[in-house]
Amino acid sequence: MHPQLEILLELQDLKAQKREMEEVADESSREIERKVFRVELEDAIAHLQAKIVEMEATLEPDVMNRYRPIADARERAVTPVLDGVCYGCFMAVPTASVRTNEELRWCENCGSFVYFVD
Amino acid sequence: MELREFFSEDVINLDIQGETKDSILKELITLLELNEKSEGILYKMLKRRENLGSTGIGKSIAIPHCRSLVVNRLRVAFGRKKTGIDFKAIDDRPVSFFFLIVAPPLEVSNQYLPVLGKIAQLCRESDVPDRLAKIETPAEFLELLDEKSV
Repeated sequence: MHPQLEILLELQDLKAQKREMEEVADESSREIERKVFRVELEDAIAHLQAKIVEMEATLEPDVMNRYRPIADARERAVTPVLDGVCYGCFMAVPTASVRTNEELRWCENCGSFVYFVD
Repeated sequence: MELREFFSEDVINLDIQGETKDSILKELITLLELNEKSEGILYKMLKRRENLGSTGIGKSIAIPHCRSLVVNRLRVAFGRKKTGIDFKAIDDRPVSFFFLIVAPPLEVSNQYLPVLGKIAQLCRESDVPDRLAKIETPAEFLELLDEKSV
C-alpha cells in the first residue's frame, strides 16, 4: 500500500471514530460510548483531534494540497471503491484506471482519494 | 435483525492463545481474514479506541469495536480465553470473552450501532458469562445466540 494512502486511511478512520463521539453523530452512538463503555467523551474527542492534526502533518505537500479542500468540504477525503464504483460519488471508476492501492489515486469525478477494498 | 445473522463458525475461536491485550486483539482480527496491511491498520484503530477507554464492560466481557475503511461491510468475531486476561475492564476483573465489531465508516445498512447495542444487551443477561464459559464448540455459541434471540 502506498504509504501516504495508509496515512489517509488512518486519518479517515480516526475522523469516523471522532464523529461517533461528537454531537453530530447519532445520539445513540454517544450514549453507548458514554454509558456502556464509560468513555469521557470530551477528553476522547480532544485526544482524537490531536492525533488527527499530528497525522495530517505527515502528509506530503502535494497530497495535502488535494486533501485539505476535500476534507474541509465534506470530511471524507478517502472513499472506498467497491465493485468498480466510487462510494464518494457512486460513479464507476474508469476500467482503464489501475486498481491497486500501491499507487495514490483519486476519483476523476468527485476528486476523493480512492481505496480499493478487497 | 438478530445477532445470530452476523456470526458464523469461522469467526469464533474458543481457545484464544494470546496472553496480553495486544496479542488478543491481533488474534481476533485474524478471524476476519483480511490482508496483512488491512490487519495492521485495523489493529491500530482498535488500539486507539482502547486508549480512549477500555471496552471491557465487566462480567469478564469486552467488546473491542471501531469503524474502518479496511472492511467493506459489518464484521464480527468472538474469542474466548478461559483463564482471562487483564483488559483494564470497568470492574477490574480479568476478561475472558471478546466480541469484536468492525464496520465501514459509510455503512448503507446502518447496522453497526444496533449490533453494538445488541451485544451489550446480550452481555447484560446474568447467565451469559457462565454460558459462554461452558460452550464447547462454535456451533454451541451460535445456538446460544439463537436461544437468546437478541
